[in-house]
Amino acid sequence: MRDPRSSWASPWLSGSIPVLVLAALPALLFVGVLLYFTLWAVVFSFTDLELFGRKATDWSFVGIENYERLFTRRGFLESLWTTLTFTFFSAIVGQSVLGFLLASTLRRYRGSMRGTIEVCLMLGWLLPDIVAAFLWSATTSKTGLVNQVILGPLGVEPVNFLNDYALQVVILANIWKGTAWSYLLYSAALDNVPGEVVEAAKVDGANGWQRTRRVILPIIKPHIGTNMLFITIWTFTYFPLIYAMTGGGPGSQTETLPIFLYQQSFSVGKLGYGSAISVAMLAIVGVMSIFYLRLLKEPK
Amino acid sequence: MSTDTRPSSATSAALAFMAVIWVSPFAWLLSNAFDTGANGQLRLPAEPGLGNFLGAMSGPALTQFWNSMFIGVGTATLTLVVGSGAAYALSRLRIPGRNGLLWSLVLLRMLPPTGILVPIYFAAQSVGLLNNLGIVVALTVLNLPFAMLLLKNFFDTVPVELEEAAHVEGASLPRILWRVVMPMSRAGLAVVWFFTFTSAWNEFLFPLLFSRTEDAFPMSIGLYSAFGRNGSIEYGFLAAFSIIYAAPAIAVYFLLRRNMNTGFAGVGVKG
Repeated sequence: MRDPRSSWASPWLSGSIPVLVLAALPALLFVGVLLYFTLWAVVFSFTDLELFGRKATDWSFVGIENYERLFTRRGFLESLWTTLTFTFFSAIVGQSVLGFLLASTLRRYRGSMRGTIEVCLMLGWLLPDIVAAFLWSATTSKTGLVNQVILGPLGVEPVNFLNDYALQVVILANIWKGTAWSYLLYSAALDNVPGEVVEAAKVDGANGWQRTRRVILPIIKPHIGTNMLFITIWTFTYFPLIYAMTGGGPGSQTETLPIFLYQQSFSVGKLGYGSAISVAMLAIVGVMSIFYLRLLKEPK
Repeated sequence: MSTDTRPSSATSAALAFMAVIWVSPFAWLLSNAFDTGANGQLRLPAEPGLGNFLGAMSGPALTQFWNSMFIGVGTATLTLVVGSGAAYALSRLRIPGRNGLLWSLVLLRMLPPTGILVPIYFAAQSVGLLNNLGIVVALTVLNLPFAMLLLKNFFDTVPVELEEAAHVEGASLPRILWRVVMPMSRAGLAVVWFFTFTSAWNEFLFPLLFSRTEDAFPMSIGLYSAFGRNGSIEYGFLAAFSIIYAAPAIAVYFLLRRNMNTGFAGVGVKG
């Protein structure tokens, strides 16, 4: 094992430390820039900086006015609620639960059924966001696939889903697009569950549900935690799919926080307020990360 | 308990239903792309042909393809070069507080790009980088923490003994890196390069903000502005364009499938 008192590097490298540090410098610079930008976002959030006009150059500090605005004006809280709904249904209920069900069911299948579903899940996941947005906009439009194949034959009047059920459609689209990640992660996790343990539970008379609940889920708990961490945060901050499909509309029905932030900053032009939204977002994501990381590190 | 080894017909039906839902958008896409008279319906091509693909590989569409290539290749290469320099040091040097450093990289990876959009926009504007080069730099900054973590994990798997042996034999550090470390971590480097390439290729947010002229549009913005436009939608062209746009990312995955999976699993568990 390593001697804790030894120097930074093994002897053969110790002569080259300056070179290694030099090689690491650009990366340090880039990471530094990232941190600097984050700090800058915080500073901007206390100003009345705007994109156009006089306040683009002649801005001043306004204290916590932008943060008050978050809670007193319409917009932020509604948007937060939309984001939470979107995240809960598309990431947690949709991707994670569906991904787990698929992973545990498909294990028992071999051959074409499993192959087809796996390839399609992966294709959805690999597809660029905008292609997925195009596919779902086109298939749910008034002349699209759903109306043509399902509602038409049933004699139902064509429905413009993106107008009437915007949030539901983007949630479905995101489940369709993102389930592969959870599926892959849970498949890998289930492969690591020792078969003997499950067999033993079976011998003891535990039924399928009890085995899942009491044996398998506790074993793969760390994987569930990791997965939840990744997908909630990704979904919470996910911009392209919804923006390309609905632009936040109709009205503000699908205006999740990233879209709200984008609109306020670059359409309305209120960069100070936009920064306050982004700081709030960073704070929420930070709290979620810490929450999940603590769950993960917790010894069992 | 036959249900455990042999799937019931109800589960099979449910799975078949899922398969149909997952497949049908792709079927729709293909049937429209290969139909020069496509109208957005799911049907056998009325006028089968490759005309749509020819259209999607010429004129402005071709320019957009090269713009996306520039962003993808540029970001991936810059990220790999900058990232591996630091990752090797992180892997081999016992820097005090290294674990804290790695955990902060994990946290940085979680940083939502939208959160720092305003400062990035301002910085790019003030140095005149509201263009594709600016996108490359911005995406490199954002991709770097994750790339460094991945690369560090890959360098960790190269046995130090080999490097020590080469050192004893009198090889210099650059030579060791080039002859020993590089070949042994080639798979890892490829994973990082292609992973970054894919994410930059798919990127939408930064081009939306940075690309000012139609000549500079990458494919994501080209597709977005085409189907977002009111009026008649050219389904055939857009379907073919979508397939061309999606192809590199998908091809990369299936080429690197095995490496990708180990890479993801490693990141997932080690955090």
